[in-house]
Amino acid sequence: MKKKLRAFIFEELVFVADPKQFSDEQDLLEAGLDSMGIMRLIMFIEDEYGITLPDTEIEPDNVQTFNRLEQWILRHKNG
Amino acid sequence: MSDSKQDILEALNIADSFTLAMDQEIRQDGLAGSLCGFALELNQTPDIKTLQQRINKFGQQFPVALASLQQRGKRFYWCKRVTPPTLFFHHQSEAEQAEQSYQKEIISHLINDKQDREEIAPIEFHLISHSTQTTFFIRWIHPFCDARGIELILKYLCTDNTSQFEKTTVKPLVNQQLDKYSWWKKILLLIKGKRYIANIDKLESIQTFDMEQSPQKLNYATYKLTAEQTDQVAKLARKHVGLTGTSLYYIACLMRALDKLNPNSEGEAFCSPYAFNLRKQRALTPVIANHVCALFSQAPRDIVKNREQLFAHLKQQNKEVIKQQLDYAFLPLMWAGSWLSLEEYGKILRLSSSEKERSSFWFSDVGKLDIPEHSFPGAEITSLFHLCQVTTPPALAFLCCNYQKQLILSYNFVEPLVTAEQIETLHQLFITELLTDDD
Repeated sequence: MKKKLRAFIFEELVFVADPKQFSDEQDLLEAGLDSMGIMRLIMFIEDEYGITLPDTEIEPDNVQTFNRLEQWILRHKNG
Repeated sequence: MSDSKQDILEALNIADSFTLAMDQEIRQDGLAGSLCGFALELNQTPDIKTLQQRINKFGQQFPVALASLQQRGKRFYWCKRVTPPTLFFHHQSEAEQAEQSYQKEIISHLINDKQDREEIAPIEFHLISHSTQTTFFIRWIHPFCDARGIELILKYLCTDNTSQFEKTTVKPLVNQQLDKYSWWKKILLLIKGKRYIANIDKLESIQTFDMEQSPQKLNYATYKLTAEQTDQVAKLARKHVGLTGTSLYYIACLMRALDKLNPNSEGEAFCSPYAFNLRKQRALTPVIANHVCALFSQAPRDIVKNREQLFAHLKQQNKEVIKQQLDYAFLPLMWAGSWLSLEEYGKILRLSSSEKERSSFWFSDVGKLDIPEHSFPGAEITSLFHLCQVTTPPALAFLCCNYQKQLILSYNFVEPLVTAEQIETLHQLFITELLTDDD
């Protein structure tokens, strides 16, 4: 899952010099993921995993790192 | 300039043509064309020698900066000039003039500088020195680059390591995005885009200002919020529109402020076009040219009157636009438009099916500017603001950015259709909307 998220974010939304060096715990918001990018990311996730992410849960806590993104998706995928 | 193709440096890309159509529209209104500005207020006189060296280096690395915009057949191109234009100018106050009025006088002159399209330099750098204030002002014509590009050019001037800004030889991002679609997908998107516009055109756009008089010149007013106010705005934006809608919060508050400024204005809905950038966040290339696509925020007047309904409406609208790929649906329309004459294209871009102006105001949120501290040669940047010319109607362009944790608002308005007094009132209404917490 993280592989797909990483590919989408680094290919479409945020530039980092060396994506391989960007850890799953590094801050995506600090790296430049902005409001428009988050909206696109959510649409990508909903399409890709067939889930609906509630607006009320679109919080930095859920989108700040790849690890948190994965946990957020899994909560809805498994729930 | 010869009519041969030997002097052509580069063709305008699809997004450049989009801004060129607006240049034509602004010129038809009797104004200076699609001139834009980026002003940096400095704490002292910078290292002029280093600055000049870097500007010259920029001109060498990006020759389009020295080009002339020429029409060849139906298309427009950046062409070599026999005599390259001057890139750097230094204005020094000689009179005992108040610092703000000196800065404003020079900037107003530069942003209203009427020159033929073929003559005007794509970009110029002006250092405006007063005994107590120094401003570095970049003026450019929109087909040369977008606001993000100017941020990159500024970063270029702020570093010795310019190799990271190498001119890419790949296609413009607009074309790259279009290349992702098969021909039938492009047609599907084109139809979607047309339907999207037709849907927007069902409601006549509100024009707040009286358009009876002839446009004379662009004026501007800028305001900087305190860090505390900026923090409060960010919190309220998060609360009302969520993490994904900061720009929508500004748009909503501006719609409400405009409605309060003139509740009796004609029209059924506020409609604002805004561009989004196709560059990845934090990418340092491509530097020049436009890499944008457009979309709209629209809200009927009865919804504008209810804050919470308005926030929910704009958020849902934005979500639907992205979900249905209506944002990218504009790209095939831009491609098709680039083959039209500027007059035809401008008309399509501006006017609804009932031949009325589609935009109630222009909007741009440049976001957070991440220029490293102590990087400008020989001086610190204490503040900054953006400017842009706008068509009439709507005669108002609202630009905002965030620098050093402070929100900076720039109102660009065409006089005498809009007055400085109206803008002051509008700003007070807008600030109240921005800082209002309903709970």
